Amino acid sequence: MKKYLTVFSLSFQNEFTYRVNFILWRVRNVLRVLMTFFLWHSVFSSNKIAFGYTGQQMFAYVFLVLIITSFVMSAPSNDNIGGEIGGGNLNNFLVKPIGYLKYWLTRDWASKLLNLLFAGVEITLLWFLLRPAIAFTSSIPQLLVGLLLCLMASLIYFVVTKLAISVSFWAPENTWGLMFVILVFMETLAGGIFPLDVLSAPVNNLLLLTPFPYLIYYPIAVLVGKLSLSHSFFIFTLSVLQLIFYSLILKFVWKKGLKNYGAYGG
Amino acid sequence: MSQISVSGLKKYYKVHQKEPGLSGSIKSLFNRKYYDVKAVDDVSFEIAEGELVGFIGPNGAGKTTTLKVLSGLLYPTSGLVSVLGYTPWDRKPAFQKQFSLVMGQKNQLWWDLPAIESFILNKEIYEVPDDKYKKTLDELVELLEVGEFLKVQVRKLSLGQRMKMELIAALIHSPKILFLDEPTIGLDVVMQKKMRDFIKQYNRKYQSTIILTSHYMDDVKELCERVVIIDHGKLIFDGKLNDIIKKYADHKLLSVVFSKSVDKSALSKFGTVKEFEFPKAAISVKRNQAPKIAAQILEEFPIEDLNIEEPQIEDIIREVFTGKDVA
Repeated sequence: MKKYLTVFSLSFQNEFTYRVNFILWRVRNVLRVLMTFFLWHSVFSSNKIAFGYTGQQMFAYVFLVLIITSFVMSAPSNDNIGGEIGGGNLNNFLVKPIGYLKYWLTRDWASKLLNLLFAGVEITLLWFLLRPAIAFTSSIPQLLVGLLLCLMASLIYFVVTKLAISVSFWAPENTWGLMFVILVFMETLAGGIFPLDVLSAPVNNLLLLTPFPYLIYYPIAVLVGKLSLSHSFFIFTLSVLQLIFYSLILKFVWKKGLKNYGAYGG
Repeated sequence: MSQISVSGLKKYYKVHQKEPGLSGSIKSLFNRKYYDVKAVDDVSFEIAEGELVGFIGPNGAGKTTTLKVLSGLLYPTSGLVSVLGYTPWDRKPAFQKQFSLVMGQKNQLWWDLPAIESFILNKEIYEVPDDKYKKTLDELVELLEVGEFLKVQVRKLSLGQRMKMELIAALIHSPKILFLDEPTIGLDVVMQKKMRDFIKQYNRKYQSTIILTSHYMDDVKELCERVVIIDHGKLIFDGKLNDIIKKYADHKLLSVVFSKSVDKSALSKFGTVKEFEFPKAAISVKRNQAPKIAAQILEEFPIEDLNIEEPQIEDIIREVFTGKDVA
């Protein structure tokens, strides 16, 4: 356990050596919120209601997306694992008594924490600037389930993206493009671009079978009290099942991948 | 009792072939041709505790692949391997805590942080107790003279300094076995020498088993009593370095300095003329005839100096690899 704490501490220090990079990344997030704000602003200037949402509701949703994604989707593992497999740097880990995926999960969490700290500052500023009409649920159990769902979201995200990146074991040169496509897909199907309830009920039910809606849409829906408590519990249970299912697949694929691993370079 | 035992080790890779150019790339999208590369082809050897063994061979001979199998990175195609009683590719933590792999072309240190941070991480990964860590670190830092660089960002170190740090990171858990893959690659001559001195000292002081691969014959000549020569995946020699000469060199070199000019063609009846640049010449002759021929040359030519020499080990090995008769 202590080894992972040390990894956590080093990751934190490491992120700080890229101060400018980090600040620019945060600026990008602020710009993104502002852009989305003006986009929806122009959509709703001609319509009172679009996709069953009022302008204010829609904006509140997108605002929450920013908060959730900066936690769930900040994952340096996505940018590094493919290269480490293809370039052979995975060697450094395989010869040591440390779990490679646990190592990256730890590094992701360090990055999440840092992003969350800074997102807090931006969000407060933007909050006062744009005044989104967000009301969180007043039910404590509901709030707890919502927070747990955020945790599940970040774990499911980790497992599913690592599953995608395992392709590097077989096609080390193709990972970057594939990851890009998958991430865009994921963000859309997770509800990162628009709330999923604008889609029809059958589509939504179908999506429940995929890991995606648990990443962004449902954590938000539960936190703002859009679902009943029992419905929230139901969603939470499904998300746990999703996590278990994909973790098992990941374990299997990873084991196969390591057998195929060429330990290139050097 | 051998610490490392390898028998019948084979590792074949499937590699896909791509024809040159864009059309080749497109073709390979749909129809890939694969062929087997026999990186290691039926290799067997045993290594005892405390030995310092050099693996030599040209690029792509299979040295590194063998090391990767021994350290558990690769699953072999077939063969039996036991290191410290473990099967390496099971990757048992108890096994991993007892060896280290250093690759001259890879770094394990955190690039943006001072090396000391990576040492601390390795201390935790290998669960080294505080007092032992401190003692080992102090010793290594002193031996390698890097005290002043411990707190410098790794990216700002020179290659030589960084390799020393890599070694410290690899040795912080006092491994029983050390696999060194090209540890001196890219270093200048002085730094190569320092590295060699360190490796020798470390092997003596801690009785750790060391397997070293290198392109530089100097590394091997100076460090290893025993060498294993691998070429095209096959083990072609395993034994004392000096025995290579006995086994492969059935020739000796007569180096002659003439006092008056002579005709090159007149020398060729004695053996192969390897060098001829007046007043010097080198003639390769059959080992058992060397004294007789030397006497003959002394009689027939105006000679200032004559020596009977063993051929250079580099030459022998090069010729073993190129498959030429060692003459």
